[in-house]
Amino acid sequence: MTARIDHKVPGGKLLRVEVEIESGVVLRALVHGDFFAHPEEGFEAAEAELAGSPVDRLGEAALSLFSRPPLRLFGASPSDIADALREAAARAGAFMALAAGSQEPGEGGRA
Amino acid sequence: MKLRLVDSGLGGALTGALNMATDEALLDSVSRGDSPPVLRFYRWHPPCVTIGYFQSLEAEVDVDACRSRGVDAIRRLTGGGAVFHSEEITYSIVLPLDHPLATDDILESYRLICSGVVRGLGRLGVEASFEPINDVAAGGKKISGNAQTRRKGCLLQHGTVLLGLDPERMFSLLKVPTEKLKGKAIDEVKARVTSLRDLLGREVGYEEAAEALGRGCAEVWGAEFEPRALSPVEEAEAGRLAAERFSSPGWNRKR
Repeated sequence: MTARIDHKVPGGKLLRVEVEIESGVVLRALVHGDFFAHPEEGFEAAEAELAGSPVDRLGEAALSLFSRPPLRLFGASPSDIADALREAAARAGAFMALAAGSQEPGEGGRA
Repeated sequence: MKLRLVDSGLGGALTGALNMATDEALLDSVSRGDSPPVLRFYRWHPPCVTIGYFQSLEAEVDVDACRSRGVDAIRRLTGGGAVFHSEEITYSIVLPLDHPLATDDILESYRLICSGVVRGLGRLGVEASFEPINDVAAGGKKISGNAQTRRKGCLLQHGTVLLGLDPERMFSLLKVPTEKLKGKAIDEVKARVTSLRDLLGREVGYEEAAEALGRGCAEVWGAEFEPRALSPVEEAEAGRLAAERFSSPGWNRKR
């Protein structure tokens, strides 16, 4: 199940995150937005490491991974990103509950 | 300090892909030690929407609208938001990370580099100031957006100075959820962004702006310019990167 959400952060930047989960585990998490991260590859490495995280620990994992030196963020903080990912994971969970309730195979929800 | 000056806009405007590729080719050249630190000015033709490194082209840009209006759409090497490049002058600067303007404190390096833009605008009669993180504002509105990346032991910063502003055209190329929100977004840009035309009530051309910005940078940084166009190696590298990276869906749609 995939959920996409937009999350405004203080200061005006916009995070657009996408979380794909299955059986309580994150398969993929993507963090798009108009922020800056140095080095860019360090951000993408942290993002890739979110895969495999249990859904209920996604926020915690993001907070730790995006705070890892030498990564420096401008325009969005590690906790802004963690909040956005938690929100998306909750949305994906809600879609799954809905799909299970209606007895239809889940095919991905869109915020 | 000595700075190499490349005026790519003298011979006309370049495509977005070639502009972004030239910035990267100069980064590579400075990184290899083949070029001293370099300041470049340029302009764009056709107009181009660039998105920040971490943005999704699909989410931000109406690619079909761009195609039908002859506007390019490409991903930058630098973070930040989507920018419509049309009536503007753009600069880029490449510095090794041990250069005095390339402080380890990223915010401070934005301030130092943007001080050249501020002084250049002053030469045109516009009182401007640096607005952290990465903007220059005049009359309470943004007139210049700037974006920085650090790779291969170098800093690359590029930034725009708006000569004119057409938010209606800009939002006809960007994705906005509804027509109502589009109207709101246009009003917001009008309230928050300005241009030299708006501020001075006259047209400022590329050449006049490049002259003023160059002199402003020289004054405030204590820089001495050595004009030198791209070398054949840099030209070839820029051409290759324009074709292989900045024109490729693999790069432009990579996130």
